[in-house]
Amino acid sequence: MTSTAASKVPIEFNDKVVRQFMLASIIFGVVAMLAGVFIASQLNFHQLNLAEWLTFGRLRPLHTNAAIFAFVGNMMFAGIYYSTQRLCKCRMGNDTLSSIHFWGWQLIIVAAAITLPLGLSRGKEYAELIWPINIAVAVIWVVFAVNFFLTLHKRNEPSLYVALWFYIATIVTVAMLYIVNHLSIPTSWTHSYGIFGGVQDGLVQWWYGHNAVAFFLTTPILGIMYYFLPKAAERPVYSYRLSIVHFWSLVFLYIWAGPHHLLHTALPKWLQMLGMFFSLMLWAPSWGGMLNGLLTLRGAWDKLRTDPVIKFFIAGVTFYGMSTFEGPLLSIRAVNSLSHYSDWTIGHVHSGALGWNGFMAAGMFYWLAPRLWGTKLYSISMANFHFWIGTLGILLYVVAMWISGVMQGLMLNQVTADGLAVKNTFLDTLQAIRPLMGLRIIGGGMFLLGWIVMCVNLWKTIRSGKPVNEVREVALLQRGGTDTMGMKETFFNDPTACTFGAMLLVFGWIFLPPGADIASLICAIIFGFMAVRRFQKTSHTWALWYESLLHNYLPFTVLTFVAVVIGGLIQIIPTVTVNSAKNVEDRIQKLYEPLELAGRDIYVSEGCYNCHSQMIRTLVPDVMRYGDYSRLGESIYDHPFQWGSKRTGPDLAREGGQRPDSWHYEHLMDPRSMSPMSNMPPYAHLNTKPFDQKTLPRKIAVMRQLGVPYPPMDATEIKMKALEQGVKIATELKKSNIVVRPDSEMVAVIAYLQKLGQFEQPAVEDALSKKGQGVPFPLSPIIPDDGRRANGAQ
Amino acid sequence: MDPKKPSPNNEPILREHSYDGIQEYDQKLPNWWLFTLYIAIVYFVIYWLCYYQLGIGSSDTLVIDKAMAEMQTARDKQMESINDEQLWALSRDPAAVEAGKATFMTPGMCVTCHGPDLTGMLSGAKLPGLPLSDQEWKHGGKPTEIFKIVRKGSPDITKGMAAWELVLGMKRVSEVVAFVLSHHKEGEPITRAADSPPATPGAATTAPAATTPGTAPAAAAAAPAAAPAVSPPPASK
Repeated sequence: MTSTAASKVPIEFNDKVVRQFMLASIIFGVVAMLAGVFIASQLNFHQLNLAEWLTFGRLRPLHTNAAIFAFVGNMMFAGIYYSTQRLCKCRMGNDTLSSIHFWGWQLIIVAAAITLPLGLSRGKEYAELIWPINIAVAVIWVVFAVNFFLTLHKRNEPSLYVALWFYIATIVTVAMLYIVNHLSIPTSWTHSYGIFGGVQDGLVQWWYGHNAVAFFLTTPILGIMYYFLPKAAERPVYSYRLSIVHFWSLVFLYIWAGPHHLLHTALPKWLQMLGMFFSLMLWAPSWGGMLNGLLTLRGAWDKLRTDPVIKFFIAGVTFYGMSTFEGPLLSIRAVNSLSHYSDWTIGHVHSGALGWNGFMAAGMFYWLAPRLWGTKLYSISMANFHFWIGTLGILLYVVAMWISGVMQGLMLNQVTADGLAVKNTFLDTLQAIRPLMGLRIIGGGMFLLGWIVMCVNLWKTIRSGKPVNEVREVALLQRGGTDTMGMKETFFNDPTACTFGAMLLVFGWIFLPPGADIASLICAIIFGFMAVRRFQKTSHTWALWYESLLHNYLPFTVLTFVAVVIGGLIQIIPTVTVNSAKNVEDRIQKLYEPLELAGRDIYVSEGCYNCHSQMIRTLVPDVMRYGDYSRLGESIYDHPFQWGSKRTGPDLAREGGQRPDSWHYEHLMDPRSMSPMSNMPPYAHLNTKPFDQKTLPRKIAVMRQLGVPYPPMDATEIKMKALEQGVKIATELKKSNIVVRPDSEMVAVIAYLQKLGQFEQPAVEDALSKKGQGVPFPLSPIIPDDGRRANGAQ
Repeated sequence: MDPKKPSPNNEPILREHSYDGIQEYDQKLPNWWLFTLYIAIVYFVIYWLCYYQLGIGSSDTLVIDKAMAEMQTARDKQMESINDEQLWALSRDPAAVEAGKATFMTPGMCVTCHGPDLTGMLSGAKLPGLPLSDQEWKHGGKPTEIFKIVRKGSPDITKGMAAWELVLGMKRVSEVVAFVLSHHKEGEPITRAADSPPATPGAATTAPAATTPGTAPAAAAAAPAAAPAVSPPPASK
């Protein structure tokens, strides 16, 4: 760098947009938490399902989306906009883009808040918003990305600080995840079918869902930690070296962990195993972030007593450490068999969301408010009160959910003395956890109360000052050695060559046919040793290369993208391209009749998947309670898949044909008439509305486009078929003195529920018998599960 | 990725560069932390090697199929001991009847559809279930026939009673049947309902196949037809 004491110019930071995002986050924080306390109460007091648009199934997506995208989203943008300008020593790239980003994001939130209670949903967790809003999110995210990278482009600080690495990872990865998981074909302005179905959809959904946690709730907040924590502590960061190792290992490993949401399901085992082991490997990188946060405070621990900002940061980082320890634990298959579908998962996610996100946000806001409004914090004791009631609230919440999850899991697994029947009905287990669900309401309520105290405190603070935009004298960067790195320097060097070489060999071990796989593993180990030796000899050049990478934001971004894209490619591509005969195992689901499809769409839009799974796992208690375990082929035509992630009610994978239509009618009208003490909302409104006949032909046409083998039918035929089936069900119900309209949503939902679990045994195309012969190339990759079968060892 | 550069006096290196006033030390990575990472990686390699390359351990489906097959054998064995006389005897055992009553009256179970007095009525309104207190039996009134209906549900479950075997287990099913039988006398006349399915006389005897061997084949033929593509024993929850 040829820095000849360049002239200094005053630069005014765009702090207005930071204030806007901060206030939005605080307000939406209240909304999200209020919604959380409300839906938690609904689980104990079904009477709170006051109206059709206030049912648990519709409000739970509102709560999760508000917490993730409105609360943490706005908080993240406030933190990123504030710190990026200072770390780059320049104003944000473009003021218009900043405004579009802010207002666009708030519009999206409003649109979500309107559409979700209306029952407009894609039926995939944290990806519920309908396709026009999806497009808006993608556009606004691109606006944000352009604005951010423009800022990097014109920065006056040659080197990228670790906080910026995490922001870069966030921006590229969220864009990738969001777009892929939202690919869909519209059937109307408010409805679409995702292009993936069944197991593919499950895999893509949790690749997205888990990494929404990783790259929306974790990496941006780690970046924020790296800026605001040392600022508040006025201490140097503990270890630059640790930053490097934990950043790269975190972004690379996180992407692989998604399948741990699908353990013991019909997902192929090799994916389950990758999900579990990458989650275990992820423990250390996650704790690297925690260590760098906590140890930064070495020598300044006394501040913990006096400064509420530090208190919140330290507690937040500690909760991060706790939940990133719990995460790998929960993804061990044996533990997961008990914890999955239970409240334990809910407790886990809230120790992250309330403890890590909530407290990091609070700490940041307490730090920012006095600076952005040029004043002092109104009350330290109020902030302390917030801290303590918040901490107690989280602990109460999390402990209640641990106990609830473990207890319900154990109760569901209990069998009768002869070991041939389950001991407790699902309702029994629900009654047992009610007190704990009550404690959760109190814990969540305490956290909300603390948050409201913060609102008052910050409001008073803001009132005592005036908005200030910081102006700083900045030496303009003389662009000599900055942003000049080419492709060759980026990729052709020891660090990248060693990493990619080792990775290729490891993939060879996983995917090559027997014999070649072991050879590949041995090569990988030898190669690894050689790489370490080389590093020991020439570590100085590795360090220099990394320093120059930090002076080049585009190559850095490209390498980050490569690191995050690999895991997804390896897991998703084989599952999407593998031929369908292998995908269905021995069963293929029967096509939904038009009425059943209409019923399914109602099931999806009412958010039934929030409480009911459709996936019987390969576990004895599951099979005893719900019937034969689910096969891949049994949901192959499901767009979206509805395997679910939580059982507040029983699994429905084989619900079809188990009870009379009249039972379903009565149960939907008033669940407690058939299942006393149930906490399910009533769905009497299904009886008053006709199902959507108009778009049904278009829906089936889209299904055909997606490869669902519907025979060609014209619009009248489809509607006639639907009505005929409706009449049949209505006639049957008439026998039990129940009068329903044959074109009502009620009839459609009953038709769908009675179809669940129906399959036929396909005349398996000789695909299976063909296997093993005509392998075109001796080293063509194979799916590990097939390799194992070929071994003959099951 | 530990450079193993011996720092002269164990002082942490403070990097010169400052980002907006933030400096960084360059501390060595904590050893225990590195080990957790290494151990996780080694564990992955060993486990994968054992499962996929050495073929150690069973697949999930094999394990579950075996467990369920064993349970089915045990169930079949239990069935061998069930016959009309034994069920009538049970209906005169107060302890069994009391236990059966408790199960019957549990909210959400039998009582929901058949009513607390077994009439299929609740305060004048007709419930979904048929009366169990009269002598008309749609699917046959022999104890083993009632037993079968409770276990397996009606021939077409969507139009009648659900299957309870997996929810209650064989012991509680027989207690419930004992409770129902305690409202009846051995040898009382049994009438068939007007809408009784024709196949029932044969199908009803499936349970203890040994008692009436002649009708067993008909039942065996009827069973698969009744539940064409719904999977094997789906229980209620």
